[in-house]
Amino acid sequence: MGTVNIRDARKSYGSVEVLHGVSIDIEDGEFVALVGPSGCGKSTLLRMIAGLEDITGGEIHIGDRVVNDVAPKDRDIAMVFQNYALYPHKNVRENMGFALRQRRVPRADIEQRVTEAARILGLEHLLDRKPRQLSGGQRQRVAMGRAIVRDPNVFLFDEPLSNLDAKLRVQMRSEIKELHQRLKTTTIYVTHDQIEAMTLADRVVVLNGGVIEQEGPPLELYDNPASLFVAAFIGSPPMNFLEGDLVDNTCLVLSDGTRLELPAGDPKGRSRITVGVRPEHFELSENGWPATVSVVEPTGSETQITARLAGNVVRVLVRGRTAVRPGETIHLSAAPDLIHIFDAAPVPEVAEMEDVA
Amino acid sequence: MTSEKAQAGPNAAPRRRRRIGDLFVRWSFMAPSIVLLIALLAYPIFYTIDISFSRFDIATFGAGEWVGWENYREVMSDYRFWDSLEVTLIYLVIALPLQVVLGFGIAFLINAEWKGRGLVRALFIIPMVVAPVVAGGMWRMILDPLWGIMNYWLGFIGIGPLDWFGDPTLAMASIIIIDTWRWTPFIVLIATAALLALPKDVFEAARIDGANWWSTLWSVAVPLLVPVIAATFVIRWLGAVKMFDIVLAATYGGPGKATNVVNLFIYEEAFRSLRFAESAAMAVIVLILTMVLTGLFLRGSRKLEELF
Repeated sequence: MGTVNIRDARKSYGSVEVLHGVSIDIEDGEFVALVGPSGCGKSTLLRMIAGLEDITGGEIHIGDRVVNDVAPKDRDIAMVFQNYALYPHKNVRENMGFALRQRRVPRADIEQRVTEAARILGLEHLLDRKPRQLSGGQRQRVAMGRAIVRDPNVFLFDEPLSNLDAKLRVQMRSEIKELHQRLKTTTIYVTHDQIEAMTLADRVVVLNGGVIEQEGPPLELYDNPASLFVAAFIGSPPMNFLEGDLVDNTCLVLSDGTRLELPAGDPKGRSRITVGVRPEHFELSENGWPATVSVVEPTGSETQITARLAGNVVRVLVRGRTAVRPGETIHLSAAPDLIHIFDAAPVPEVAEMEDVA
Repeated sequence: MTSEKAQAGPNAAPRRRRRIGDLFVRWSFMAPSIVLLIALLAYPIFYTIDISFSRFDIATFGAGEWVGWENYREVMSDYRFWDSLEVTLIYLVIALPLQVVLGFGIAFLINAEWKGRGLVRALFIIPMVVAPVVAGGMWRMILDPLWGIMNYWLGFIGIGPLDWFGDPTLAMASIIIIDTWRWTPFIVLIATAALLALPKDVFEAARIDGANWWSTLWSVAVPLLVPVIAATFVIRWLGAVKMFDIVLAATYGGPGKATNVVNLFIYEEAFRSLRFAESAAMAVIVLILTMVLTGLFLRGSRKLEELF
């Protein structure tokens, strides 16, 4: 049974608590992504599940037992590390078979399982190579092979793609997804890249500062971000934010006095709010919020427009091509249900996170 | 590039002058160290080689008449020289592996985080900074057959009393113990640094893969450490072939010639028997032997690195 239940997990280093009580229930066969900026505790949590870090408080269940005091090797998990962590002096075959050899699995069985994993990952012709004779993508595949061979209850991935170049990352991403669909093994995947999390996972858990900001299916997080942080973190290019006072329930007054009409008021009746609209949810219309175009970037399938709205930089993504030119004034509107309203707060700087390698 | 070539004609003379000036500046910066190196390193070596091919002239304290290979022939037929080489070899063959294994073993054991590790590391440096002659004298007292504390302790477990410096085998053991006491900490420090520099995630992968302590050591740590172990061995080898001071202070080659290492023998021949030319010849032979063996070790360690 590949269920993982985390109950109020806490982690302290000395007197500093870095994980403040995290609870997640993961079903058998589910693919869960833990995502968040660096220092949010996602890797620490994964390492606690793996048994590489002590659990300061709370409980972690794998299957139907509490594993707090169980050694990593007895937790029936396999982990794929960011730097692959292959044994440099062992060839691919020995790397993949090492865990089984430690368990005294008969040689013929090891051979058969290694061959099978190598076939799934397309590594058959590399079995006798040493890690240093492999490319980054191949090493990552070997690391995954080492995990598959053990046929564990849970796969743990710790930012496995962040050392690969952009093109390879996209390719390996779909390979991991394919692998999961094929093996249906419970997978916990740590990443700082929200796109990886969105594309791979059945469920995304957004961590920030050692607590869960929000969890849910990827599109649920995209459609209904529970906080400004999640709104800023999920989606690329990131959501636009405008902070101001809400007067007469439907009029947003920005700091410089600009008045913007909102199609609907705030159901919670707050007076000081931050309004968020995703670039792809803006529409160019006759009468909307006026903005001055500064940059137009066509990519063929879509065009990104950067504009200034009362001193705020606003990004707009329109389908196909547009006749808009820099210097022009455009009018932006959005459907009422695509305008998100949050408590006023400084926008977290998470937009560049996806570029951190 | 093309514009530079076009200008080369009219500017050639000043550029050459500039280049000579540049060369002059460079060499004048290097000159002091070159002079120092020649005076301190090259001259003694050439002096030694020179007198090894000559009859030594006590009056001028330099090379006298050229005698070709005669000095070499003489020392090669001297059984005492071969005996001292054999003593050195025995010492090296036992002491070097012992120190390297012990050093890396201790480093592996104390690698875990624990309180007081810093203090223990600081204590480890003490043997290295103690002057070798002092170390020899200190151990002379510790190993003294009558009042030495070693025999007192060994008495508790029913061993001894042992005549540490009187018995030929025990005397060699004493030298090796003292040398090991002095140099193992150095290896521990190197090994600790090497262990800290190893990739952590490989060890974590081994933990998850279910490797126990023993197979972590043999399948992960040792192969990763091979380059460092080989380098440490060569460094320690270079130090150990010079073995002189501890023997001088502890046993003075005795009893008989049991601990008479080749350097002590050469020293004795030169400054006791005043056979400077012959000892120069021996010194040159030892130098060449050392260089050849060092070259072999370096090659061997490189091969070993490729293997892993």
